[in-house]
Amino acid sequence: MFEDLGVKDAFASITGQALLKAMLVVVIASLITVAVQKVLPRVAEKLGGKPRLYLLASVPLLRLLIIFATIVIVVPILVEPSFENMVAIFGALALALGFAFKDYANSLIAGIVTLYEMPYRPGDWIEVDGQYGEVRAIGTRAAEIVTPDDTVVIIPHNKLWNSLIANGNDGTDNLMCVADFHLEANHDVGRVRELLRDVAFTSPRTKTWQPVLVIVFNKPWGMHYRLKAYPFDPKEQFQFISELTARGSAELARQGVKFVSVPVSVG
Amino acid sequence: MKDNTNDNKAVSCLPGGLMPAEQWTLPQTSVRRSLKDAIRHALKQLQAGVSQAEEPFESMDELPELSAAQQRRLAPEPDYAHQAEAIACSLKQARSDGSLSREVVCLVAPPFSGMQQALTRFSEPEQPDSIQSSDETWRVIAPPDTLCFDDQEASEWWDRQDLSRPWVIPELADFWLRSLSGLALIRELFRRIANGDSGVGIVGCSSWCWRYWGHYLENAQMSPWTPAPMDADRLGAWFTYLASGNGKSMIVARMTGDGLYVLPLPEADDAENSKSRKKRKYSTFLRDLAATSRGNPGVALAIWQRSLRARPDDDAKLEETDDKTDKQSRAADCWVVPLGRLSLPSMPQSKESVTGFVLHGLLLHNGLDMASLEAVTGVSTYELSLVLSRLKRAELVTCDPLDQRWQVTPIGYPTVRRHLQSWGFPLDQF
Repeated sequence: MFEDLGVKDAFASITGQALLKAMLVVVIASLITVAVQKVLPRVAEKLGGKPRLYLLASVPLLRLLIIFATIVIVVPILVEPSFENMVAIFGALALALGFAFKDYANSLIAGIVTLYEMPYRPGDWIEVDGQYGEVRAIGTRAAEIVTPDDTVVIIPHNKLWNSLIANGNDGTDNLMCVADFHLEANHDVGRVRELLRDVAFTSPRTKTWQPVLVIVFNKPWGMHYRLKAYPFDPKEQFQFISELTARGSAELARQGVKFVSVPVSVG
Repeated sequence: MKDNTNDNKAVSCLPGGLMPAEQWTLPQTSVRRSLKDAIRHALKQLQAGVSQAEEPFESMDELPELSAAQQRRLAPEPDYAHQAEAIACSLKQARSDGSLSREVVCLVAPPFSGMQQALTRFSEPEQPDSIQSSDETWRVIAPPDTLCFDDQEASEWWDRQDLSRPWVIPELADFWLRSLSGLALIRELFRRIANGDSGVGIVGCSSWCWRYWGHYLENAQMSPWTPAPMDADRLGAWFTYLASGNGKSMIVARMTGDGLYVLPLPEADDAENSKSRKKRKYSTFLRDLAATSRGNPGVALAIWQRSLRARPDDDAKLEETDDKTDKQSRAADCWVVPLGRLSLPSMPQSKESVTGFVLHGLLLHNGLDMASLEAVTGVSTYELSLVLSRLKRAELVTCDPLDQRWQVTPIGYPTVRRHLQSWGFPLDQF
């Protein structure tokens, strides 16, 4: 079959020297890729803020450029870059990948689409299939996220085709946090909304130029308040929600507003 | 004649006068300088984890820094009474030409602009006519000892203040704490101003505090005014004015590296000696300084004081000239270290969120004591003292020995602002 495709002819001119040259290029490209993937995230950690996000987002893009450049350099070293040879090589590659590594190829293609469409970038806080965390790295086949419990979750890129991906900050450093308060009814709703707004505005972690909202729902069991605000750094989100909850609860208790609690059944 | 003299003084001590805050623009600098600053800032952040944090200031120049006497002569602190007069003149002019019609005017200025000190002078007994309002003297409203009030108590406190005759609040940031019970006083003041039942008044406010309250009271439209930004020409005129004392001496400042002239400014020099002017080449130092200090006079003056150098024997000469009569004109030579070679304070490596809370809290409140700082940041006293001592060693904050209030230093302000911006904290508009 490979003979029919002309692959044998295409590779007939490969010499040992050309092979060595190509391997050298691949090794150098791999080293640069590893260096980019190791060094840039470390540098980004030191910078913080927007420069951190931009630097993290540049990692997969640089990797794509390196891969592309390597292919452009290596192919002419190995084979004469004629139209027939190219068709033969890429046709054979497509066949091999299609039969042997269908799912792998699926993820690889999704990975390329990910780099282009950017549904998530390193530094983004995403949720896929119930797993929430910060995107640490975007590989060829899968993305790595780190959950708040410091667990690394590998998410294959082919989830892109059929899963809902929720992105909390979408490449920016603006991540909305929500603190919930479940209160008994029969209190001054306007006063509580004002008070919760003040709770957010007096937190040193709040980005005051972003909206601070207090939403209230009337439920059969009482009132459900949602205090929405942005922390100055997405990494602070859990500290921020905890602080809003603690300070809000203390102040509500001081004002005599009671929380509802659901009876817990045992056994 | 008297009016002209006053006008000249007003122009010199408040170059550019006052302007609506929305017209304020950042002094421009060269692309090369901007890139250099950005790269230096990024490198300093990267080096924070590698190099030693303890980096005491070390002069990069062989000449010694100015002695106290030399500093008093060449780059003294401004006279805030004159600045108060200049502010009053600017306001009067704005009212007369119709650009300012509100009874209560808000004057917003970045920290170290001297606005608070100038507004405090409004109530001094020997006021010039330009400051007095309709034959009535201004009354300074001082903040209460404790800032924790509920809405009712805040309303009662303001009821006790006499707002029927002209009043002035030198610094609004002294009237609040970023805590749940610390917001009521300013909230009530803005409510009264919006209702129009607060009489004639001036509210001075730090730009950081103003920005916060602008976000908090999103529907409040106070149309604040601000001092014009100090660009290169205004800085040159102001430094010359400060050094001139009685207005008859001329400061000559040249760069240490290449001898290019910084002062006198080309225009001033033009009148002095047109032949020598043609031969002189001028440095871009003042333009770079204006950009580095973001047009902030207090910051620019602090950097200027640090960059000036004089020979040790000049000290004695200056003392001698001090004793001479005011009528005698004199020339004082000094040298200026390039900004690139000047060691300005840098941020020590530390847990950035806690450092950010402390520095942001200090700027929002225009300085705080330890107890208030603990209340607004939520950081424990123990950790606060560690962070503050590190920042103090790095020359970024200082503690007033009289009232034990911690404040950001003018020389450290550019670094602090830049780092707060990198860390994502809300900034002021200047």
